[in-house]
Amino acid sequence: MTTVTEDVPTTTAPAKHRAEVATALPPARGQSFLKLVAIELRKSVNTRSGRVLIAAILLIALAAMAWQFTHLPAGNAGFDGFLGAGSTGAMLLLPVIGVMAMTSEWTQRTALTTFTLSPRRVRVQLAKFVSAVVLSAVVMTGVVALALASTALAGGVTDHAASYAGLGGQLAGAYLTMGLNVVMGAAFGAVIPQTAVAILAFFIAPTAWSLAGPALFKDNANYLDVFGALGRIAERDLHGMVPETLTAVGVWIVLPTIVGLWASSRREVK
Amino acid sequence: MITVENLTKRYGSTTAVQDVSFTVQPGSITGFLGPNGAGKSTTLRMLTGLTPPTSGTATITGKRYADLPNPGRVVGVMLDAAAQHPGRTGRETLLLNASLLGVPKSRTDEMLEAVGLSHAAKRRVGQYSLGMRQRLGIAAALLGDPAVLILDEPANGMDPEGIRWMRGLLQDFAARGGTVILSSHLLGEVQATVDRLVVIGGGRIVADGSLDELLAGTGTLVRGLDPIRLNEALTVAGLNLEPLADGSLRVDATAEQVGRAAAAAGQILIELRQSDGAGLEDLFFQLTAAPTAAAA
Repeated sequence: MTTVTEDVPTTTAPAKHRAEVATALPPARGQSFLKLVAIELRKSVNTRSGRVLIAAILLIALAAMAWQFTHLPAGNAGFDGFLGAGSTGAMLLLPVIGVMAMTSEWTQRTALTTFTLSPRRVRVQLAKFVSAVVLSAVVMTGVVALALASTALAGGVTDHAASYAGLGGQLAGAYLTMGLNVVMGAAFGAVIPQTAVAILAFFIAPTAWSLAGPALFKDNANYLDVFGALGRIAERDLHGMVPETLTAVGVWIVLPTIVGLWASSRREVK
Repeated sequence: MITVENLTKRYGSTTAVQDVSFTVQPGSITGFLGPNGAGKSTTLRMLTGLTPPTSGTATITGKRYADLPNPGRVVGVMLDAAAQHPGRTGRETLLLNASLLGVPKSRTDEMLEAVGLSHAAKRRVGQYSLGMRQRLGIAAALLGDPAVLILDEPANGMDPEGIRWMRGLLQDFAARGGTVILSSHLLGEVQATVDRLVVIGGGRIVADGSLDELLAGTGTLVRGLDPIRLNEALTVAGLNLEPLADGSLRVDATAEQVGRAAAAAGQILIELRQSDGAGLEDLFFQLTAAPTAAAA
């Protein structure tokens, strides 16, 4: 039965194996980084859990703005008020998009397929970082649009005047901190491949430091206070604390990113 | 063509796979056989770049897996049919892969049709039975029209009709020059499908050869109207035999030798055939029960 297997390929087999279906396929090409990003984006919105998370962020933003709408402070109805109300929840939940971009493949075990089809893992992981940031920016834009609409509506139907003072600066600050937060979430997810544990670590570790650090190290704790650093970045005013800000971002965001890329490229896929 | 050379994987002090070498030729189906925990999946994961080997190399069509520019167009892999996102539909699962492989969307529907899942294409994979997930996994493996197939336990969870369907599909694939390796601990399934066997036990290769070679020497099964007289007749003729529980005899001889010896003694035979099935099972247990002895 098998005595002929040695010379089958050169004598009787067709030059190139073709499967049953007659469609001629285009020639095989490599996988561009853009394609990897597009696929990761699609993966994060084509499951129910992904869509529920995005819808939840927008709904929470909407609820917060509705509350703001009915509790307008005296004076102008400012865009900054609505954006602040709407983005509080988004800032908390968007990093979860980052975490899940990295962890869900390992929890759902689809990493098996992903890394079989794209064995150069660092590229895939980088595509996940980019995709998480892009997706978060899109959701953030939804929140911004809601805030703009709320401001206009408040100016129209209430006796407060709509105010868009400092709009550009607020948007720059919001997108910048959002991006850093999401990258930080993704980095934690890359280091710790379990969704729940990674989310817990993401929320608890920097909070624990911001509580314990100042007690132990006084002002030196600022060097590792990522919340303080992100707050200064959001205000686009580092208050002369450039080394502190850079160190905090380096330790909490850049370092986990590098460790995460390294760890997930060597992790055994089961 | 798949070439595995001296692959070894150690986890701390335990050795999961030790010095494993074999090749799989185009146009053949190789069964990778071994009990659970023998190192089958670890070997297949090293072959597909998912697990870094401690030492040794594995190549597919002459290249290391990680060096294939778009591996899905060369080698179809299904290592675990359960590892699919339950929240995506069957069709969406394949569409994602099709986009990455650079094959047209129509190919997705063709493959769903080919594995008999067209009716379930729009259902979420979470609602699929294990057999349906195996079919979806095979559709995914075939999507890029590969020349090589690597399947880990593809018959797992399939009904007999599904197993027969897959057997036809794989034999057809190999007949057109494809290279197939499939792992299993289901002996009967492997025997009917493959033409070569690589048997692994305790992390080492304990047998490697064509099905015929490995089954040779298991002898002939014979059953007579009078088992005791037949036993005497064959023993007198100098044949080695072993009585089996059901009254038949397993003889280390060809069917012709047994037939002649029985005819010379005037014994009436009611069954005479090559010993199979049980033979492979015996071989399997014998090879894997004491792997260290077999390898030494």
